[in-house]
Amino acid sequence: MRGLRCLGLIVLLLFAIATFTPLANLINIRMAGVPHVEPSDAIVVLGRGGADSDGVLTNRSLRRLLLGVGLYHDGFAPLLVLSGSAGEVHARTTLAHGFGIPEAAILTTARARTTKEEAEEIARLLLPLGQRRILLVADPIDMPRSLALMEHSGFVVRPVPTAATGPSNPESRLGLLRDLITELAAWTYYRLTGVL
Amino acid sequence: MGSLALLGIVALTSLGAYLVATQRLGWHHDTLPTALGETLECIGLAAIFLACNLAVGGALVFGFRIFSGRFISVYGLNDIALVLLSLLQAMVLHSWRRSR
Repeated sequence: MRGLRCLGLIVLLLFAIATFTPLANLINIRMAGVPHVEPSDAIVVLGRGGADSDGVLTNRSLRRLLLGVGLYHDGFAPLLVLSGSAGEVHARTTLAHGFGIPEAAILTTARARTTKEEAEEIARLLLPLGQRRILLVADPIDMPRSLALMEHSGFVVRPVPTAATGPSNPESRLGLLRDLITELAAWTYYRLTGVL
Repeated sequence: MGSLALLGIVALTSLGAYLVATQRLGWHHDTLPTALGETLECIGLAAIFLACNLAVGGALVFGFRIFSGRFISVYGLNDIALVLLSLLQAMVLHSWRRSR
């Protein structure tokens, strides 16, 4: 039973540290890396969280789209690539049009089921057009793996993470921790299967 | 509401529970360390259950993908309900062990 008590103590300490200290935020900032915003061939906005049943984007998906739209209007790239589930892509495209982005400037892909497949689909869209330099919009936690996958697919990637500091209330920090653990598991899976 | 406020609230109600237990219910304060130890055991057991639930869930997802050729997302396992259910499993097992 001593082993169980030790394990319980470790879990409790991890919970306390993750919830009541800014450690998760610091890790989030670290994973975001340094944004690298400069003129590129395309802005790639990866999917995240999809859309609700009423067609409204999730918070994270919307944040990414808004950042991508902002980059387009600031003139950093002539193309906006929107990826995600079918509902997410539809909602994003509708919003992008509403924000004044012409249809000719938007490319979409809704066939991917994983981040790896997203990278492959976007490569199929852009590489034949000679568009290799991309501004990659993703959450800080997703950025390292997404960046690695896009580079593996043949792109020159300039990362543009969404807000790096992240939320600071206990519940949201626990959510960040959960996302960190999920991302670590995904990294491990991709390394074990030879994808990265 | 900040983290400190939450901790303060929990500290207040914990103190209240301690006073009710010792003053009204007549519990001995020297049995509190034993109770805390058993709580840690329960938390440790919950962590093991969570790991098992994730491992079984992951195996089912990947097994389904391989044998059916169809895709289901592993992100379905990324749900806070699984943590709470694991804690419930641990509490049941722990209570059962104590009642033997």
